[in-house]
Amino acid sequence: MTLYASVRHGLAVTGGRAVLGVVRWRDTFRRPRAHPHLAPPLRSGVRLKELIARHYLKGRTASSAVPVAWVTSGAPVEPLVALGYHVHYPENHGAICGIRRVAEDLCTAAESAGWSRDLCSYARTDLGVVLTGRTPVGRLPRPDLLVCCTNICQTVLGWYQVLAERFGVPMALVDTPFLYGTAPPHALTYVERQIEVLVEAAERAAGRTLDPGRLHAVTRRSKDACTLWREVVDRARHRPSPITAFDTFVHMAPIVEMRGEACTVDYYAALLEELDGRVARGEGALLEEQVRLAWDNLPIWPRMRWLSDRLAARGAALVASPYARAWGELADLIDPERPVASAARVYLHPILNLGIGQRLAALRALARDCQVDGVLLHSDRSCRPWSSGQADIRDRLVREDKIPALLLEADHSDPRAFSEAQASARIDAFLEGLGA
Amino acid sequence: MLPVHHPRALWRAHGYLPVEVWGPPGTDATPAGAHLQPFLCSIPRCGLAFHLAGGLRDVDVVVVPHACDALQGLGSILTDLPPRPLPALTPYLPRATGEVAVAFLAAEIATLSTRLAEGSQRGPTADDLLAAALDEEAADAAFRALLDARPRISLSNAAFYEAVRSREYLPPAEFRAVAEVALAATGPVDGIPVLLSGIVPEPAGLLACLDRHGVRVVADDTACVGRRRYAPGTSTEPFRRMAEALGSGPPDTTRGSPLSERVAYVVALAAQTGARAALLAIPGSCDPELFALPVLRQALEAAGVRTLHLETDLSMPFTAQADTRVEALLESLP
Amino acid sequence: MTVAAIGVDAGSTTLKVAALDAAGTLLWSRLEPASPRTAEQATALLAACASEAGPGKGAPIVATGYGRDLVLGAVRRVTEITCHARGVFAQVGGACTVLDLGGQDTKVLALGASGRVLDFAMNDRCAAGTGRFLEVTAARLGLSLEAFDAAATAAHHEAVISSTCTVFAESEMVSLLARGTPVEAIAAGLHRAMARRVAALARQVGIRPPILASGGVALSGSVRRALSRELDQDVGLPRHAQLLGAVGAALVGLDPSSPGPIRVAGRPRPV
Ligand code: SF4
Ligand code: SF4
Repeated sequence: MTLYASVRHGLAVTGGRAVLGVVRWRDTFRRPRAHPHLAPPLRSGVRLKELIARHYLKGRTASSAVPVAWVTSGAPVEPLVALGYHVHYPENHGAICGIRRVAEDLCTAAESAGWSRDLCSYARTDLGVVLTGRTPVGRLPRPDLLVCCTNICQTVLGWYQVLAERFGVPMALVDTPFLYGTAPPHALTYVERQIEVLVEAAERAAGRTLDPGRLHAVTRRSKDACTLWREVVDRARHRPSPITAFDTFVHMAPIVEMRGEACTVDYYAALLEELDGRVARGEGALLEEQVRLAWDNLPIWPRMRWLSDRLAARGAALVASPYARAWGELADLIDPERPVASAARVYLHPILNLGIGQRLAALRALARDCQVDGVLLHSDRSCRPWSSGQADIRDRLVREDKIPALLLEADHSDPRAFSEAQASARIDAFLEGLGA
Repeated sequence: MLPVHHPRALWRAHGYLPVEVWGPPGTDATPAGAHLQPFLCSIPRCGLAFHLAGGLRDVDVVVVPHACDALQGLGSILTDLPPRPLPALTPYLPRATGEVAVAFLAAEIATLSTRLAEGSQRGPTADDLLAAALDEEAADAAFRALLDARPRISLSNAAFYEAVRSREYLPPAEFRAVAEVALAATGPVDGIPVLLSGIVPEPAGLLACLDRHGVRVVADDTACVGRRRYAPGTSTEPFRRMAEALGSGPPDTTRGSPLSERVAYVVALAAQTGARAALLAIPGSCDPELFALPVLRQALEAAGVRTLHLETDLSMPFTAQADTRVEALLESLP
Repeated sequence: MTVAAIGVDAGSTTLKVAALDAAGTLLWSRLEPASPRTAEQATALLAACASEAGPGKGAPIVATGYGRDLVLGAVRRVTEITCHARGVFAQVGGACTVLDLGGQDTKVLALGASGRVLDFAMNDRCAAGTGRFLEVTAARLGLSLEAFDAAATAAHHEAVISSTCTVFAESEMVSLLARGTPVEAIAAGLHRAMARRVAALARQVGIRPPILASGGVALSGSVRRALSRELDQDVGLPRHAQLLGAVGAALVGLDPSSPGPIRVAGRPRPV
């Protein structure tokens, strides 16, 4: 950490914040163009844009000013935040690349270097970024530490090992045994030990020691933000729903990449207030909500706008998704008094680390609570952990719960695995069946 | 038994006859399509299709070790929403290293043992378990000796692999007998020395193709064979001993071994055995292998070992195209 | 001039025979759509060669292509990869990249300065990036391959087709047609989609200029133009582009040792 880098980083952060503040002020008073089927966008969206921009702006000058960690989306970040790390999430960045439609180019770069097209498109996008240095956010900070947690998939392990090799930096692994049933005690101990090792590695790479008081405060903020986030997604239980799953896919960015920071708590408190206003006024996210749907798996980032418009045009509101809810689900397990031990439990239990029986149960509960008329299951070509088991889940929903469900083939980031013609035909037929 | 690592001694001590299923090759995977999408690896798809076709009729329990996201999906389906009733065990293989991992794996094996005892009524004693572990270690020693002796054994690739891979179903004593016979088959050897890596030397046409083209597999780094060169454990506590052995093999992607260790190991193996080329037989969409692949290929090529990636599909025969690729590689060797 | 070596390329869509004199000059050649009876067809063409180009006593016959094991009388059987490399190297004489665009297969070969195949890649699994892709999509537009080529050349702009999967591309095409997109623009978009796939394969192998395209599909100007644009450099057409497999095989017969030792591919298998 050099003095020059620290000063530059400080200036960039303060200056950037001022500029972004002005942009926000301007955007707040700008009247958005009216959409034929959707309510005016949430006002919080302006603040969200600012938060994300600030995060990536910080990242641009973070190298050698503050310690930098690249982490998987389900990694225990609280100790890192407490240690003052700038935390970069390649998966979130991959989603940004997907939305901005640059993922294909980056994937191609990785494929040209020999990485198979079958691999997760986030991983290919990220390897493409590392190989070419191209990113829509300007520049990414070089990591001092990689933190890989297998609670979303084993894929991340292979991916982070390649990163470790390329960057020549240590990788801290938090291996979370997949829970086919309930978590055995030895799994909890195993994860807890690894988090302790992670803390040591993070201290070493940062050259400072973890202050228990700060860890407590960060964990507290994580818990608060997760609780608020759960409230936010659960507002979709109202009819009409004040928020769509598409909104949650966008508004989940802070809970993933700024968990443990104070601004995240404030942000979700404000968002919740805005949603409550909509509920009180009886306003929905759709101008006319006719049917309600749930979504399984990751979004199709490059085609999200298209899909949202297509559904809205037919009065179909996508109101629930286990994916977005995952980051709020475990709020109650977080215990700031026992930050490491409770983290072991929390980080073992995200929905992607649970068997398909529990995934089916979660989808059923959501369908019931949000009163959905149908379920769209995104069969995601390059996300194997989430996609395997979907055929059986669909079968049970249709047969046992009498909920119509459609398996839709696509990919979370790679547009080449998506056929608009095929998808529209299926979606239209499905909606016609629902009477929309 | 599905791939890759599992404690053989445990099943034996409980009186089970463990038989491994890698595919099985040539299974028509279409029926599995109702449960697993076609873009998933062919090993779990074939395994499930085999089960759906009644192939596991006489089986008491199916074991699906956690080797990757694809097998995780299969294990979870068989546990939670089984299309045909059959008890399933799903041991988790730790990806961490060191004492935490051994302790976890020992506890995981102990849990399996408890589950099996519920089923079989005949719970083995600690002595039974230890004896079974020692028997398997003796068979592992024969297995290692056989692999080490490969450069001197005059058997064809097909015959050699039939012998080593009998470890996947034979009891330890019988396997040792098979190994002894194969070890005695020394004689003049020829052929282009090649290293075989990837997951499993399948589909069947692969080895036949190598034999036809005068290739001799002198080194094996497949998950199925070479990466299961287990060393003996040291503990006297049976579960721990089994865990130590399972974690002792060469670097393996399905165990999450660091990439640099694995690359160094394979490059050294090629150098020791004088392999001139490396064939990487990897089932399509196998994430653990495919991440490491470009790095491994680069390192091997830099060491003067030509590489060929063969994407395999266990539900399909070995294709004419793959045969051509092998032949073209041989034609282009310096 | 007498025939000194004969090459037979029994490919998946066409069967080709080429006869060379001792200096490597092409004396006689013939190309026919592949019949399912490869052995008979090859024998008949070899007989035609003997009667039209002269007997060529003792001229070795070298077979290549997927049907190479079925060619009776062949003294060598060599893969089409080596043959195309040999055929192109005879014209270029240095390092280069060969895009062999066949009916069912697309291959990319990297040749070193001495003509040795340093690395190669082939399309896997699907028809994306092969002649088959163009054939299927052209048929869907109701065009012959020549008309398809002409349509793509005449296009003022290119429709965006993101899928390289044949099935997906077909459905994308249908919806473009439904939206009234001109056939020419679609044809150009399809050529681009195919070129993207081939370029991806080429980058995997690593590109060493110059780039030459061989195989039947290489004859299409639109394909070569799309490839040039995708790869950002010229893609040339060697002489006898469609015959190069057979010519290369005959060159192997003339001089089996250079460049790089050619290993005889085992015993000829029983037919
Ligand atoms: S494989 Fe799926 S869970 Fe894993 S990183 Fe990719 S998208 Fe996420
Ligand atoms: S081959 Fe790879 S993906 Fe398939 S079961 Fe084995 S480890 Fe999993």
